This record gives sequence, structure tokens and C-alpha cells, in this order.
Amino acid sequence: MKADSNLKKVLTQNVFAVTAECGPPKGADPGVIKKKGNLLKGYVDSVNVTDNQTGVVRLCSMAACAILRQEGLDPILQMVTRDRNRIALQSDVLGASSLGIRNILCLSGDHQSFGNQQQAKGVFDIDSIQLIQTVRRMRDSGQIIGGEALSDPPELFIGAVANPFADPFDYRVIRLGKKAAAGAEFIQTQCIYNVKRFKEWMKQVLDRGLDKKVYILGGVTPLKSARMAEYMSKQVAGMDVPGDVIDRLKGVDPKDQRREGIRIAVETIGALKEMEGVRGVHIMAIEWEDAVPQIVEEAGLYPRPRISEE
Amino acid sequence: MDQRTAGLNIAIFFCQQLDVNQDKNRRSLEKELGPRIRFFPLPCSGRIDPLHLLRALESGADMVYLIACPEGACRYREGNLRAKKRVRYAQQLIEEIGLEGVRIEMINRTAEMPDDIDAIARELLARDAKVSISPVRSNAILSFMQK
Amino acid sequence: MITAERKPMAEIKAMLAPYRKILVVGCGTCVAECASGGEKEVGLLASALRMDAQIEGRTIEVREMTIDRQCVYEFIDKLTGVADRYEVILSLGCGAGVQAVAEAFPKMLVIPALNTTFIGETKEPGLWVENCRACGDCKLGYFAAVCPVTRCAKGLYNGPCGGSKNGVCEVDPDTPCAWQLIVERLENTGRNDLLEAIYPPADWSRQQGKGPRKIAREDQRSES
Repeated sequence: MKADSNLKKVLTQNVFAVTAECGPPKGADPGVIKKKGNLLKGYVDSVNVTDNQTGVVRLCSMAACAILRQEGLDPILQMVTRDRNRIALQSDVLGASSLGIRNILCLSGDHQSFGNQQQAKGVFDIDSIQLIQTVRRMRDSGQIIGGEALSDPPELFIGAVANPFADPFDYRVIRLGKKAAAGAEFIQTQCIYNVKRFKEWMKQVLDRGLDKKVYILGGVTPLKSARMAEYMSKQVAGMDVPGDVIDRLKGVDPKDQRREGIRIAVETIGALKEMEGVRGVHIMAIEWEDAVPQIVEEAGLYPRPRISEE
Repeated sequence: MDQRTAGLNIAIFFCQQLDVNQDKNRRSLEKELGPRIRFFPLPCSGRIDPLHLLRALESGADMVYLIACPEGACRYREGNLRAKKRVRYAQQLIEEIGLEGVRIEMINRTAEMPDDIDAIARELLARDAKVSISPVRSNAILSFMQK
Repeated sequence: MITAERKPMAEIKAMLAPYRKILVVGCGTCVAECASGGEKEVGLLASALRMDAQIEGRTIEVREMTIDRQCVYEFIDKLTGVADRYEVILSLGCGAGVQAVAEAFPKMLVIPALNTTFIGETKEPGLWVENCRACGDCKLGYFAAVCPVTRCAKGLYNGPCGGSKNGVCEVDPDTPCAWQLIVERLENTGRNDLLEAIYPPADWSRQQGKGPRKIAREDQRSES
């Protein structure tokens, strides 16, 4: 159980990393997780497990991560500050490490008003940056918030997210800098459809030298249809789906739109591979995990490197 | 059945700008109907308060009208627009206690309507009664304007 | 000011159902400013209650009274000698007012007519917005006088989440993104240095650490 984070090994060895997202089921069946895990196995370096994303109650991220670990994958525990106060968060960080989970992604989480528990109290005791700082301190100094010492620090590779497409645009890179300063080691971005805007943001990242401080993985979500593209463009805040992407899907027969969506994803990954400072890709195929192997293969990222245990 | 025949008590709040001679013009109808009609002149319909409308209903009115200038022709620009929202507020409140919202009605004067308040009121009385006698007064001692 | 909204009549009626002698008490301060519990609103509610009783053929006695402040004993004292003639006080004060009145009259039943909502400002006539959570540890000095605890839906201390778009919050398109405002105001006031500061976890014990908070000021207290 002492194994290090596979993602960290891949990134430190300068290999273009591939991670994918796995959404847990709205039920208690571990089989769903195992099935999704096995679809991804061998095609990705690590698997993110979302934490009640969009405020919808699902099987918990920590349990799903433990299951994936048993299946031989390297899970990334997503942890949002929406549902737990600092006592619960720090406790879960220790618990995750004890289960052999070696990656954590710190987020504030989608607001509870979007989910299926809209009357829930949003906790937000601390925010994502404070969580990064907390986990980093627990790991490196063996201290919890307030300074009390831990008997054994957790071992976790610490990640955060960035959305280059939200506003205020010029503040986005400052916020990334804050996350790096707080102790984040890798960054997964919001899905990229507007490559031009992403490049502008990456230029700001490079100008500040942040690419030397954090590993940046560009987010890619394959679009299933023109309708999904339009929905994401209009309904999901902080999502930038340019008109030409929507038009491209509209120009294709509906039954071929999935194929086209994969092509767009593969092209985006191609662009990311060429971009200075981008160290990997994070594929979020929402309820479409079986698209991941195809995307990884067509993007020329298969097979994944086998990093030997030292 | 028209409102007069139905025996409805009517309270009429109105903007004085509608009829400069309102003081004189409304006398004949007041004499004719006695306590069954009450006029409340306002310097502008925008001065209406939901409390006025409720007090009128509580005092035994079956129908409460607010007669205002046409939209866009308020001397104080938006008095009648504000009045409209207050009327809606009062309607919602009385609906919460089970009174029909239509017992309060706002009327913006149109070109077809007569000039003097007396004639306007007669037209209103001649309209079909949308409501019957208010349960507020039918179930209690008739106290309409006995102050 | 403390803002409040009237409860639905059905809820007020249900709470008042057993009683016939009702003292409706308004408050002339915050809830008068936000048009929910002042003299006028007392009049409206009392009138509605009387009509409601008449419609249902019940007899009730309703008295209307509005005091300057329901949260200060000196003003509550105006109810002394009046309150005991009624079976129940229907308070149009905020939650603090309702409780202060109840404490002043240990044997009186006191019922709230309002839902107390937030500490806010009158943005324009008829529009009140929340802008303070009374966290007990004001950081407005670092956030260009825009409170992220209150005005950011997630209460984020360290910058906007990924849902800030075109200056508005993803949770409610009618709400400006607090962090958009903070960033703009920090820049406009020459405090760009604060943009990169990292704020540690807040001290919520100042808000809810040991239950209800109190402020005791010896210089303000009387000897007796």
C-alpha cells in the first residue's frame, strides 16, 4: 500500500499524462465502478472520481477510489468543500491516504442549488485554496489547521482545478498562481473547446512561470451531439463552446455526431500536446467512459507507459 | 345583474386630475345612493396605499375602484403605474383571506369614458356585478361608513 | 438593517386560531424601513385579520400598536399595561424583536408574523439586498468593501469560482459575482497587491463558536 501516485511518476518523468473522469453511480453497487475502472484500465494514468458533482447525491468518492485502487488503478480523490467542514475534510484526507489513495483534487464544488438536495446547507467552511493549503501542510509539516501534529502525515499528490474560460479573465491566472502558492502540484482545467482562448490563458501562465510550479493537464470533454454542445454553451456557466464547434456538429448527420465529437476531442488533444507548458490531458467523458480508450488511441497516447515501482 | 341592482356598496378612489369639478359633480350620486357609495379623491392615483383599499373593504365596501389617468398620461409621470402595483399587492393580500381579488379593480380612464366622475361612477354601477355582497359585511354588523 | 417578509396569511392564521384577543405589534425601525413590520403593515395585517374573522363568522378583537423598537426594553415597556389585556401578541418585529418582547412579558404568548431574512441595504425603493452575515470578523478592508462571505454564493475567500461569467453568479443571473466586484474595486482603488493574497481559513468561532453571542460593555452598563 506504500505505492506512490502513478500520476506523479508519469508527470515527473516528463511523459504527457492522461487522466480520465469516472462518475460514481446513484446507488450502492460497486460493480458499476469496477466496470468503469476496467474500461479505463491501461488507457489512462489515473482516474478522477467526482465528489457528488453538481450537488447530486452519489456513491462517495472515497469509497469509489478505494474500489478502483483494488482494481489496480491509480485514483484521484475529488474533494469539495461544499459538504464538509474542516473537521470532516481533514479526517477524510487521512482516511484517503490510509486506503492507499495517493491523489487528491481540491475543489469548492458546484453550488448545492444545482443538485437534487437544493434545501441542503452549503458548508463552505473553507474554500478550495484553503483546502489545498491544509492538505499540503498536513502532508509536508504533519500538521492540521491550528498546528496540532499528526502521528503520521498523509501521502497525497495534490491537485486543483482552473477554469480559463470564466471571468474575470485576467484574474484567472492570478487565481492559478494562488493555487500554486497554496501548494497545488497539478492542475486540471475546465473542458477546452475554445483553443484560442486557452492559448491566451497559457501565455499568461507561461509569462508568470506557473508552468514550472504546477503540472497543467488540459480538460477535454467529447461532445455527444450538437444539442449537448448548445446546452453546454448556453446553460453551463463558465463553459465556452464556440459557435464553429456547434456548427461543425450540426453539419454532421445526427447519427454520426458522436463520431465527430470524438474527432474534435482528438484534435483538441493534438493541439494540447503541441502547447508549451501543457503536461497532459484530462478526459471527462460524461457518462460515456467507453469513449475514452478510442480517444486515447486516436490521439496517439496509447499505450500508456508502465512506470516501474521503485 | 348590474351592480346597483345587486345592492353592492361601492367605494371609488380616483385621481382628481380626471375631473376638476369632481367635488360638485359627485354630489348627486352621493345624495341618490347615500352610504352605498363613497368617493375618495386623491391628488394622484399614485397616492393610493393598499391600506386604503383594505380599510374600504373592511368598512363594508363590496367593490373598490381606483380610477386613474391613462397610462402615459399621469401628471406625476408614473403615479398610475405605481398605483397598479399597489392594487395588485392589495388584491393578493385579500385573496389570502379568501376574498376575490376582483373586488379591487383599477381602471385607467379611456377616451370613450365620460369626463365627470359622476358619469363614470354611473357607468360602473351599470356594469354586470362580478361579485356578490361581501362576506365581510354580510357576516358582520353592517358598519359601512358609519364613522 | 434587518430585513423581513410577512409570513403567508395561512400560517399566521393557523398560529392565531385558538385566540380571540390579539395585540398586533409593529416595530418602527428596521422592518418599517423594509416595509414589512411598520405601522402601515400592522394596519394591513390587522385589517386582513379582522376581515378574515368576519368572513368566517368569528368575533375577534384586534388592537394595533407600533413601537419604535421591539429589541430595546425601554420601547417594549410601552406595551406594559396593554399587553395583559390580550391573549396573544402578534409581533411584526424581527426575530430579535419577537424574543425581546416575549422576554419582557413572561406569561404572554408571542407569535411572529414575519420571516426574518437578512442584514441588508435598501438598494432602491422596494429592493433590499443582503450584504452582511455578521460573521464577527469583518474583512471588508481586504476585499474592497464587498463581502465575499455574504455576496458570493459559496462564501469564497480566495477568488471567484469557475462559474463567474459576464459579471454575474452562476447560481443566480440576477446577482453580480462578488469576486468580479472585488477584483474591479481592488484595481480601481489601487490595491492590486491584495489580489494575490491568500486568506487562511476563517475563524467561525466568532460567529457560532459558543452558541449565541453577546457583547458586554462595562462603560455602557448601569450600576443597579
